[in-house]
Amino acid sequence: MNNNNILSLFQLCDSNFPIGSFSHSYGLESYIQEGKVHDQATFLQWLQAYVHEQLIYSDGLASRLVYEALEKEDLQKVWKLDRMLMVQNLPRETREGTQRIGERMLNLVESLYVIPMLSKYRERINKKQSFGHSAIVFTIVGHHLGVPNSTTTLYYLYSTVASLVQNAVRAIPLGQTAGQKTIQEFQGALTKATQKIQSLDEEDFGIVSPGLELSQMKHERVNIRIFMS
Amino acid sequence: MEDWTGVLRLGAEERNGKTVAKNVYFQGAYKVMRPIYHDESGQVCYYILNPGGGYLDGDRYQMKISLEKQAKLTLTTQSATKIYKTPNSHAYQEAEFNLKEGSYLEYIPDPLIGYQDARYKQKNMIHMEKGCTLLYSDIITPGWSPGGEKFSYDKLQLINEIYMENELVVYDHIKLSPATQNINGLGLMEGYSHLGSMIVVDEKTDHDLLDRLYEAVPNQTKEYKIGLSLLPIPGFTVRVLANGTQTIERIFSEFHNIISQEWFNKTPSFLRKY
Repeated sequence: MNNNNILSLFQLCDSNFPIGSFSHSYGLESYIQEGKVHDQATFLQWLQAYVHEQLIYSDGLASRLVYEALEKEDLQKVWKLDRMLMVQNLPRETREGTQRIGERMLNLVESLYVIPMLSKYRERINKKQSFGHSAIVFTIVGHHLGVPNSTTTLYYLYSTVASLVQNAVRAIPLGQTAGQKTIQEFQGALTKATQKIQSLDEEDFGIVSPGLELSQMKHERVNIRIFMS
Repeated sequence: MEDWTGVLRLGAEERNGKTVAKNVYFQGAYKVMRPIYHDESGQVCYYILNPGGGYLDGDRYQMKISLEKQAKLTLTTQSATKIYKTPNSHAYQEAEFNLKEGSYLEYIPDPLIGYQDARYKQKNMIHMEKGCTLLYSDIITPGWSPGGEKFSYDKLQLINEIYMENELVVYDHIKLSPATQNINGLGLMEGYSHLGSMIVVDEKTDHDLLDRLYEAVPNQTKEYKIGLSLLPIPGFTVRVLANGTQTIERIFSEFHNIISQEWFNKTPSFLRKY
């Protein structure tokens, strides 16, 4: 792997990468409205829970498993994980939002790269055989660029967190400096999460945490909102 | 690994408007009582018993339930499922349901109680054909512990897989591990002790039904926290965090009532426990 490849994958991690992440809070907005998340410290609590109790078991584990499947050219496994990611996401807004982001990322990445695997994914989505998920698109690109498996997962988690922090800055609101401090303080947590993902079993896939999931479901009933989930 | 602590097989079919057992078989620490018909609808109700009184270290339970076309079955337990401490290996239960076209299954077990140092894994696999109805619920509760702490169990893990025409359509995975999690924290149990889940699958589900269900229970309360959402297939799921079994049962039976009235024009029977 050369440095150019790291930079190439980095491009997808930018919180300004236009795939619509700024429209989704994954239940954070429910907590903000209830007053439970109101400053940097409480936001950090939420972020810890979201990453360690939900994200690693869904997107995180899927990223690792998709990478492994790509190495073995086991496409059926990739399609299976695409379905698993979709059907384990029980809150409707979060499920639909995730799918929308996945499709937008695929569109954008397709105009940057020619990767046969992406074309196959696209074809299946067009035929409604697959749903589209950003963790899978991202991992296909990471694999294509020769970035190692766990590094790809780490970057994916980073990209998700960077977007969430920007959303928190707007919604809570937090100062830009507090936002950057959060990202800095969270670096250790991201490394820990990536390590944990390496030790997970396939049977751990899709574990959700009750409070987080409930807040994602409750968001459907939030009247005044700046996020779609 | 075929050494089950308890095995249950039940096949139900419709005969002249009445659902009857095609076959019933149980062995070990599983038992079913004689069928009960609560009303004139022909829907049959079976109560599952655990004569051992609870699940112990390394216990393994398996049930396979099948519903032929148009069969209507209520399956419940006679009392709560108690999970005691499992020092060596976790207790396990798996259940497989096969629902043929037009059949109706209510699977409403009593709460699951996790006592001190209990580890438990449960897996439900539900295979449905088009035009079936499923109503499922479970409640996870902490058992009494000598030290008085609320979450003395080690791990309670519940997995629900629903397949529609052989395609995975719902994957529900809850794993509460108070031993390693900040269980009372934000995003987890958030100060509540009980977790209730309900899954309903039926082609008649729509946004309006979800609205009516939401309106049927007060939501400006500290007594519980509730979320409802539509599934990727016609159907919905409910999660409730509360501090008592009755609170969750009250909400679920209210929803059960609404669905039964709207879809089948009947009132669900009160499940008497003897």
